[in-house]
Amino acid sequence: MAALFTLAVLSFLYKDNPIFRLAESLFAGVSLGYFVGITLDQTLKPNLFEPLRTNFNLHWDLVIAGLLGAFLYMRYVPKIGWIARYGLTTYVAYYIGVEFTRKVHGEVLPQMARTILPVRGFDFSGFEAFFNSPGMLALCAIVGTYSVLIYFFFSREHNVVTRPIARLGVWFLMVSFGAAFGFTVMGRVALLIGRLNFLIYDWLYPIFGL
Amino acid sequence: MTELHFDTGRVLLLICFGLVPVAGIILGLMAPSLRRQIPLIVGFVAGIVPILSLYIPKRFLSAAGEGMSPRLDQYLIIVAGFALPLGIVNVIQINSRRVGRGEKGWPFALALLVGLLLMGGFGVYGAVSGQGIGFLPSGAPTPFQWMTDWFFRPLQATIFSLLAFFMASAAFRAFRARNTEATILLIAAVLVMAGRVPLLDFLAYPFPPLHPLAASLSQTMGRLTEWIMDVPNSAAQAGIIIGAALGAAAMAIRVILGIERSYLGLGKGD
Amino acid sequence: MSIVDRLLAIDRRWIFLFVLLAVTIPILLPLGLPVVTTGSTRAAFEYIESLKPGDIVWLSFDYGPSSAPENDPMAEGFLRHCFKKDLRVVVCALYPLGGLSLANSSVAIVAKEFPNKKYGTDYVNLGYKDGAEAVMRRLGENIADAFPTDVHGTPISQLPIFEPETVPVERRAIDRVQVKAPGSEVRMGIRTIGQFKVVFTAATGLIGEYWITLVNAQFGTPIIIGPTAVSAPKYYAFINSGQLKGMLGGMKGAAEYEQLLGRKYPELSKFYMETRLFTGTKGMDAQAGIHAVIVLFIFLGNVAFFLSRRRERKG
Repeated sequence: MAALFTLAVLSFLYKDNPIFRLAESLFAGVSLGYFVGITLDQTLKPNLFEPLRTNFNLHWDLVIAGLLGAFLYMRYVPKIGWIARYGLTTYVAYYIGVEFTRKVHGEVLPQMARTILPVRGFDFSGFEAFFNSPGMLALCAIVGTYSVLIYFFFSREHNVVTRPIARLGVWFLMVSFGAAFGFTVMGRVALLIGRLNFLIYDWLYPIFGL
Repeated sequence: MTELHFDTGRVLLLICFGLVPVAGIILGLMAPSLRRQIPLIVGFVAGIVPILSLYIPKRFLSAAGEGMSPRLDQYLIIVAGFALPLGIVNVIQINSRRVGRGEKGWPFALALLVGLLLMGGFGVYGAVSGQGIGFLPSGAPTPFQWMTDWFFRPLQATIFSLLAFFMASAAFRAFRARNTEATILLIAAVLVMAGRVPLLDFLAYPFPPLHPLAASLSQTMGRLTEWIMDVPNSAAQAGIIIGAALGAAAMAIRVILGIERSYLGLGKGD
Repeated sequence: MSIVDRLLAIDRRWIFLFVLLAVTIPILLPLGLPVVTTGSTRAAFEYIESLKPGDIVWLSFDYGPSSAPENDPMAEGFLRHCFKKDLRVVVCALYPLGGLSLANSSVAIVAKEFPNKKYGTDYVNLGYKDGAEAVMRRLGENIADAFPTDVHGTPISQLPIFEPETVPVERRAIDRVQVKAPGSEVRMGIRTIGQFKVVFTAATGLIGEYWITLVNAQFGTPIIIGPTAVSAPKYYAFINSGQLKGMLGGMKGAAEYEQLLGRKYPELSKFYMETRLFTGTKGMDAQAGIHAVIVLFIFLGNVAFFLSRRRERKG
């Protein structure tokens, strides 16, 4: 069955066809059903219903969380859809509050810290040694990071100073995007390799008794 | 059985996320303008509590198990649970209408509904019956796990594997050395593609005399790729991370202060 | 119509066919090409090697079937490594679209290879939880707040892996609750993520990043990531900032880890040679094939582009 679904989806490569669309629709439905199962069994049951059932006195306040969650579904009741805002605003604002500290504390500060370092220790003994010497690595980290930031933050008003730095920033970005493309090729192809491996070794080989 | 826990943190949460919304709903039924204002106040509290708890080590705010912030974390695991399947109601409404009216493509809508009800049904059964949604103690799969293994996983994996084909086609059509930037992009991409896998060994495979040369070049290419990833790529990524994080932090402040409210379906004037 | 025009207007289905052949042939006829290991994978491997038997580690399945061929071999390789080293492993899944089912399957597969490992004592599967960041914040103070039960619904207080045990003080230096003189012993249970020696996150998308920028930043737990190749370039910045102990980038990273495992543990080398399971190493021949084809396409596309541009200029 898994092999037939795989072939049905791959048939799209030749051209769009009803079998592919059937498999696609089934996938969409099954995915949504999957959400229902995991949420109910793995989150709502152990984190909401069971604590309320087994030790209400300790966990009574989880009713509020259930209520906020239930408010979200009010959007489907036309006249009182605005009630959903209470659930939505709590959900969005909380996660964005967490995001705020995470971004500043876990991203901006450590990444800035690695660009504040002495540029020393160049090794001129050879081509490879030079490009891997501590001084060169520090220089690249500083120049690359700040030129990219200058490109981002002065994207409107470039002047004589920022224009060439921003251009350098774009070059750094292009190296990074090119590298990312190379990695993306690997990633996407990996998925195909996985499927074809399944078709060949788990389906075709057993059919032919190999 | 312990007594009902009424510590300050829980009471404050009850007020902010229970009583205020309920009062807001009652008032909102009478005065439509309050339907917009009160949710923003609730949002402000929800956004500010996790931030303040890092700075103010007070029992009511950050004590493990009872402070506002730890309890709010627990609430939000639950609210996220409710939010995940939120779109399902909409999908059921639209697709059942398509099937009911026999609109064009109704068999696909029916397939979607069948998949949803079957998978969702097995999930509900697993949760309610207590057998769960993974493997049984005997090692046999539950119906939910069975559906996952034979429908969900192959379908999702194959749909995403189609991307490999389209990416190859896009590389052929769009990857052109039109100017300096595009040329740098192209060279970096080709170097990384060649250096990250045993590409040269692969090309030299039919010619055994070339194997040592290919192996040595492969090693050099590998080191070059690592340098590209570790040095210029890493520096550029640091710049992107810092830039994007500062943008996100600014947006977070706008949301918490109620300046940005489009996510609630409210414009600036509302 | 010149050959250049024909090349530029080629039906994309021909390209699709080349891609299919470039992947299928190396799968049918494996070449066993060498896999060169990289620094980030070696750092991850060495870090796990440096742990002592009995140390506790966390493995998070933060990916779905859409990237399973990349992430499955990493997660399974890591699990095998932990079992070989007699580390205790706590497994969870935070990715909604399939993380749980992959965790269930991978744990079942590897546990079967190590019949001496006992569920509940040597490893547990805590299952899936919604709200990744909220979950991680709770893990920093009390694991049971986020995961009151394991995947089967057993309360985690009943799982021996979390039970109090007598440990020398130097092994719990990161626990901030009690401070005792080094050399003395305390009885303590596993309560927070800060007590874990490492979190390994096999990840697609943002959840892997949360482990670094939230859990590592706020609770200090070392992190090793196994991202999909698509998101791997970003994580080099986190390696250089010292926020990551190591990284297994995509299928290549998984293949490298398998190589390192095979070199250190000959029985695993034999296993990886003989298994019918999909491994990172098995995918590398096909990766080389397809990369050759795509580089060729890019080259042909550019040749055609320059020829047509020169013709336009002449015209």
